[in-house]
Amino acid sequence: MNAEARPRFGKGVKLRHDRDGGVMLLVPEAALVLNRSAAVALELVDGKRTLHEIIEAVVETFEVEPEEARKDIGGLFDRLADRGFVR
Amino acid sequence: MSRALSLLCELTYRCNLQCPYCYNPLALSEYRDELSTQQWCNVLHDAADLGVVQAHFSGGEPTLRRDLAELISAAAREGLYTNLITQGTFLDDALLDRLLDAGLDHIQISIQAPQPDVADRIAGTTVHETKLDALRRVREREVALTLNCVLHRRNHDAVAEIIELAERFGIARLELANVQFYGWAYHNRAALMPTRAQVNRAEEVVAAARERLRGTMEIVYVLPDYFGEFPKPCMNGWANEFMTVTPNGDVLPCPAASAIRDLRFENVRNRSIGEIWESSEAFQRYRGTGWMREPCRSCERREVDWGGCRCQAFLLAGDASATDPACSLSPHHSVVEALREDVQDVEPLARRA
Repeated sequence: MNAEARPRFGKGVKLRHDRDGGVMLLVPEAALVLNRSAAVALELVDGKRTLHEIIEAVVETFEVEPEEARKDIGGLFDRLADRGFVR
Repeated sequence: MSRALSLLCELTYRCNLQCPYCYNPLALSEYRDELSTQQWCNVLHDAADLGVVQAHFSGGEPTLRRDLAELISAAAREGLYTNLITQGTFLDDALLDRLLDAGLDHIQISIQAPQPDVADRIAGTTVHETKLDALRRVREREVALTLNCVLHRRNHDAVAEIIELAERFGIARLELANVQFYGWAYHNRAALMPTRAQVNRAEEVVAAARERLRGTMEIVYVLPDYFGEFPKPCMNGWANEFMTVTPNGDVLPCPAASAIRDLRFENVRNRSIGEIWESSEAFQRYRGTGWMREPCRSCERREVDWGGCRCQAFLLAGDASATDPACSLSPHHSVVEALREDVQDVEPLARRA
C-alpha cells in the first residue's frame, strides 16, 4: 500500500476492544488477535489519515526506528489489503 | 490456553434443499424440539459473557426461523459480530432489509455449481436462479458477502467457471470448500470423492486466479481431507476456540461431533454455556494435547494440527482418540487411501427427506 494512501476498513471488518485490554480485528468468519503496534495502527484507520501518518504515530508511541515501523506496519497493511480487509 | 471465540448457532436443521454432502446428522428427527427465541437470546448473552466475539447463524437453513432478525439483533446488542450462513433461497428484499437493520455484519451464500442444471441436480430441487437473485440483492446493499461453493467430484471440473461467476457478480470473497466427509457426505463419499487429477487441476486454477485477482477477490480454498500429508487442524483444536449449539440446545465442540456416539453432550436447557465450555466431559476429553497417544504425542505438529479431526478418527478408525487417519503417519492411513481410490460412478443415494 502506498504511503500516501488513506486506508479504510473493508466491508464486514470491525475493530474490537476486548475486556482484557486486547484488540482484535473481526473479519468475515475469523477474529485476528493484534499485537500492540498493529492495534495502535489500526485504531487510526479512518479513511482520512495517510498510511505515512499512521506509521509516524506508531514510531512516536513505541519509540521504534522509522525504518522498522515502515517495514512492520507497511507489511501489515499490504497483507490486510490483499485480503480486502483494508482498502 | 483455550478461549471460546466463536459460536455456531445451528438454529434449525430444516431445509428445502437436499444436498448429498450436507454435514447435518442423519437422525434429524432427534432435533425437532428447537430452542425458543428466549432460549437463544440467553445462549447469546452467556456466550458474550464467556468471551465469544463472533456468532454464526447456520442450520439447516437459518432463514426458516421466523425470529432470525430478532436473534441477530440480540447478538449485535451483546457486541457480537454476526454472520449468516445461508443457501439464499428465502432472501427476498424484505427479509434482507430486516436482517441488515438488525445489525448483520456478513452473509455467506452458497451455490452448488456454476451451471444451473448441474446446480439444481446437486441441490435436488430448482433453486439456482433464486440464489443468483439473492446474490444480486446482497450486492446492491452495503454488507460483506462471501460466496461459497462446496467442491466434490460432480462440480470439481468447474472451479474456473465458479471463479468466473464470482467475478461477474463482483464477489470480494469466494470460498471453495472441498467436501468434508461427515453426515450425509460420509454416507455418499463414493459418489462425491474427487479424483487426484481434479484436485491437482483445481489447485492450479486457484493459484492462477489468486495471482490475477489479488486485492480484488480473496479466494479461500479449503483443502480436500483425504489428499494431504497431514490432517487439517480441525476447529483449531478440540474445545479450543469454537463451539456449536444444535437446534435442540446441545453444546458441541464441533458441528460434526454428534458422530462420536460415545460422547454425551450437555444441553443449554440444563446448564449454562459457560459451565459447559469450561467443565463438561465432552469438551474436556480431547482438549489440549494430554489425551494424545503416539504418533501424535511426540509429534512436533501436535499443536499445529491437534491430531486432526476427532470425528474423522471415530468414523474411520473407530476410536475418537486415535490419530486422524487423514494423517500419513496414522496407522489407519490405508483406510483413507482406499477411500480415495473408491471412486464409484453412482448417483448419490442418500438425501435428506
